[in-house]
Amino acid sequence: MPVGMPRHRAETTRKVPGIGDREKGRDRAAAIGRSRSSMLRRERRENPVVAFAGGVGEGLGQVARDSAAGMRSMLTTNPITTIRNAASGVAGMIDTAIAAKARPAHVQIARAADAVSGASARDVGRAAGAVIANTAMVAAPGVGAGRVSALRGFRQARLRPSYDPPTIGWVKETLRSERAWKVYNDSAVGARPGQAPTLMRTMPDGSRRPVTFDGIQGGYGIDRKYKVVDAPHARAQLLRQSDVLSQHQLIGTWEVTSPLQKAKAHKLLKKMNVRNIKVQVVKP
Amino acid sequence: MIATQIARIIAEYMVFLNFTGEDQLDPDLAVKMMEALAGDLEELDRGFLRELIDAFAAIALEYDGEAQQLVRDIAYHFFLEEALAADDPVRLAELEAIRDARYAAEEMGEAGSGRASGGDA
Repeated sequence: MPVGMPRHRAETTRKVPGIGDREKGRDRAAAIGRSRSSMLRRERRENPVVAFAGGVGEGLGQVARDSAAGMRSMLTTNPITTIRNAASGVAGMIDTAIAAKARPAHVQIARAADAVSGASARDVGRAAGAVIANTAMVAAPGVGAGRVSALRGFRQARLRPSYDPPTIGWVKETLRSERAWKVYNDSAVGARPGQAPTLMRTMPDGSRRPVTFDGIQGGYGIDRKYKVVDAPHARAQLLRQSDVLSQHQLIGTWEVTSPLQKAKAHKLLKKMNVRNIKVQVVKP
Repeated sequence: MIATQIARIIAEYMVFLNFTGEDQLDPDLAVKMMEALAGDLEELDRGFLRELIDAFAAIALEYDGEAQQLVRDIAYHFFLEEALAADDPVRLAELEAIRDARYAAEEMGEAGSGRASGGDA
C-alpha cells in the first residue's frame, strides 16, 4: 500500500474488478447458471443410478430408524399401531417382500424389485440399503444391531393377538389332612394355605365354572398328582384343565412324585390328545 | 372274606366320587380323593392287594350299567396290577400292551359312535 493513501480507498480500489476479473465473473455466473439449470434438469429427470444410491442411503438410515422406533414401539405402543407406522408407503411393501431373511441379499433385492416393478429406482435402492444394513448389523458381533433381524421377525409375528393376564380366583379348601398326599398337593408353587387357585372356564352355553389347580406360577397352572388315576372323572378333569388353560392361553404342569407316575401321566395325556399340559417329577 | 368287605367299601366310595353331580360334589375334589385312595391302595400288602383286585371283579356283579363297569375296572383305573408287577418287567410290558390295546379299542369305539352320530345328523 502506498504511504499516505487513505486506507479505505486502498481497500475500495482492491475490490474493483478489472476487465479480466469481469470476464471471470461472467464465466462464474455462467457456470452457476449452468449448474442451476442442471439442478433443475436433475429435479425433472433424476439419474437412476444416483437415485438408486440415494435410496440406498435412505434404506440404511431407515433400518436404523426402524430399529430404534421398533424397540420403542415394543415397549410403548400397541403393536397394531406400530405395524401401521412402520409399513407405510412403497418402502414398507419392499420391506415385506424382502422379509425372507434367510435368502442372500442380492436375491432379496431382485425379489423386491420384482415385487414393486413399478417403483422408482430410489425405492429399489432404499430396499437394497435396508438389506445391506440388516446384513451388516446382524453380522456385527456383540452389538445390539442384531435386534434389527429380530425386529423383522417381530414384524411378521406382530399380528398375533394379545391377551390379558388370566384372573386367578381363590377358593377356600375345606378338606384338611396331614396325610402325605395332602401335604404334597399343598406344597405346590403359588399355593396358599387353605386356598386353591382356580381359573374360570367358559362353557359352550356361556356359563362359567371354576377349574381348580394346586398352584400357579407365571403362565403355568400347576396340578400336583400324588398318584395318576385313569378313572372317568380323572379323564374329565384332564379335559377341563386343558380346556380352561387353552381359553386363558396358559400351559399346565402336572407335578408327579416319581418317574413311574410320569410315564403313566404321559400315556394318559397322549391318549386324551392333550398337548398343553406338561409333566415333571417333583419328589415329595 | 375281609377283602370282599373292603372291596365293597371302596366300590361304594368310587361310585360316589364318579357319579355324584357337580352341584353336589366338586369334581376336582373328587379326583383328589381318588388320587389319595390310589396311594393308599398301592401301599397295601401285596397279598392282600391281590385278593382285593380279585374281589372287585366279583362284587361288580352287584352293580348295574356304568357302575358295574366302574367297579370292575377299579384295578385298571388305579394301575393296581402294575403296582403288583413293579418288579416284573415282563409282566409290566404285558400290562402296558393290554392298556394300549384298550386305548385303541376305546378310540375305535369313539370313532364308530362319532360316525353313527354323524350319520344321524
